[in-house]
Amino acid sequence: MDESQKLFPATSGFVLSAAVTVLFNTALAWAKDIYPGLNDAMKSVAGHHWTTHGVVDLVLFVGLGLIFTSARTGEKIDPNRLVVTLTGAVVIAAVGLGLWFAFV
Amino acid sequence: MDLNITASDVILLAHAAFGVSGIIAGLWVFVEALNASPANAIRLRTAAYLTAICMAAAWICGGYWYVNFYPAEKALILKGPWPFAHNIFMETKEHLFFVTGILAFLLPIATRETLSANSAARKLVLSIAAMIVVTGVALEGAGAVIDHGVKVELLRGPGAGH
Repeated sequence: MDESQKLFPATSGFVLSAAVTVLFNTALAWAKDIYPGLNDAMKSVAGHHWTTHGVVDLVLFVGLGLIFTSARTGEKIDPNRLVVTLTGAVVIAAVGLGLWFAFV
Repeated sequence: MDLNITASDVILLAHAAFGVSGIIAGLWVFVEALNASPANAIRLRTAAYLTAICMAAAWICGGYWYVNFYPAEKALILKGPWPFAHNIFMETKEHLFFVTGILAFLLPIATRETLSANSAARKLVLSIAAMIVVTGVALEGAGAVIDHGVKVELLRGPGAGH
């Protein structure tokens, strides 16, 4: 690959982390809807399930981003593929949330 | 003049205002990235930081309002003619917001790249900025539907439909 077309380790690491986090976010929203006990447990952590959900997302995004950066995980993936992965994850997350709350 | 503006009003409107400002800043990043050159690199990064700061402020204001003031409005929506304003639009909005927020925090990291010399990085920044704008506009629209869900119940008057 042309060196000038590579991304910094932090960029590719945090892009990969963002893709994982947005999918996790949607899966957690579904899980809370299916299991009221999970909703209650998350409420007990930070006073409201939404607050806990946001904190978990942020911790996951930063934590995975740092891990992927230090392990140079994102660097092993073609940058254009990373763009497609992130875009695909966001589309799946957004459509998944909308359809879930509309029809399930 | 008696303005009669409550803390709830200020926080809710601040949430929407910061959200719109974040969307506009995201659009600014998109346009700067389309015309990426060494000359606009600092401006582009400034816009990216502005996007992240506005979305963080929208997150804090919206979260505080949602946790402390929304339950009363939720009750009104659910007994009114537009329960879907909560069941579909608020449920989706409160979770989709995290996606927009994560993308906004990713933007300053991605704009550290030299976009004028790296087409892959430019494509990445364009994609992130575009997704912030599209999901942000969807969130603003959902906010309008939720607000209208309260309004249609209040306009029915006391006792209507009970």
